[in-house]
Amino acid sequence: MDYVRSPEWQLTVPPVTGGRNGDPAGRHRGQHSAYAPNVGWHHIGAPPVVDARVMGPPKKKRRAPIPVKIVIAGGFGVGKTTTVGAISEIAPLTTEAEMTTASIGVDDMLPGSDKTTTTVAMDFGCVTIDGSLKLYLFGTPGQARFGFMWDDLSRGALGALVVVDSARLEECHFAIDYFERANLPFVVAVNAFDGHLAHDLNAVRWALAVGEHVPVIRFDARQRLSVRDALLVLLDRALDRALRERGGT
Amino acid sequence: MSDVPDPATGVRPYLGAGLGSGEPEGVAPGSDPSAALRPFVLTSGRVVGVDPAIGVETQVTVCDGPPRTHLPSSAPELHAIVALCAAPMSVAEISARLRMHLGVTRVLVGDLRATGHLDVHTLDVADPRDPETIRRVIRGLRAIS
Repeated sequence: MDYVRSPEWQLTVPPVTGGRNGDPAGRHRGQHSAYAPNVGWHHIGAPPVVDARVMGPPKKKRRAPIPVKIVIAGGFGVGKTTTVGAISEIAPLTTEAEMTTASIGVDDMLPGSDKTTTTVAMDFGCVTIDGSLKLYLFGTPGQARFGFMWDDLSRGALGALVVVDSARLEECHFAIDYFERANLPFVVAVNAFDGHLAHDLNAVRWALAVGEHVPVIRFDARQRLSVRDALLVLLDRALDRALRERGGT
Repeated sequence: MSDVPDPATGVRPYLGAGLGSGEPEGVAPGSDPSAALRPFVLTSGRVVGVDPAIGVETQVTVCDGPPRTHLPSSAPELHAIVALCAAPMSVAEISARLRMHLGVTRVLVGDLRATGHLDVHTLDVADPRDPETIRRVIRGLRAIS
């Protein structure tokens, strides 16, 4: 069988109605939304007829939002996903990146391991900042063996929130080292499980040996406003640096 | 965005990234190594060679103009991506919603740009060191209550 008449094919036919300067993108969106539940191409029975009247008056071509991102790093079970979920306007989505042969050699930080594949689940969410700016929050495992995907995530990021469980500080050393080396603004955010910290913030700062310029804060990953405030501390720091750099050049 | 239904049906299950396997935070210890490579069947084994500018947050939309080639009916994954990108969609979201491996998604998105099906907005990026960008994000977050 040959599904030449796929919905996509139909959609790519120049519209028979509407002006040349109409809104093909808008129509495409409309058409696709009718298809989306079944991801259409198996259903060639009733290809939609492009009709501008159904779609309303031609709209201005909608641009894609400009994405910005913040990395949420931390060890297993410290509350990264909770953090993302608390502030994201969508339920956190999970994507998987598996290390492949192409990445072998990058992962050799795990001593005594001959494992050539690693699966990493990355949870992310987003917040629409304004009409043209969208903030993405990527929650990523904080251990050294996942370092291969960090360059990717950090490139172009506004900064990083290193989520820490005060009872298991050791898991965040790599993240802190990494962001320091990458010269990415970051904040150490100690997740207060049940409102309780195993060590106070000064002890955490001492144990992690982070510089004085790195904020060490306490927050509650379950509380939207608490997460928001933690991100604001990070952004203040990012802004400070941006202004310093602008001033210096 | 959340109104986009789950179109995971477009991806063959054995090529998916194995999501929902009950691993709370990602590692599949001692898993079959071939399982990690299998998703790359879709890319004919290509794992690199993608435009490095295609990031996880890069926005993807359907092209306005007619594509240069028609998508083969034997590639439901490609159709699924195109269908999903009717609304602007990040690469990460495509990967998550189609339950398709992130690396595979990037390769396929690059392919679909080459064939004229998708606009990949690699140039629409904000300078993360631009104070005004940061101020906008701060204002946006402060508005959250």
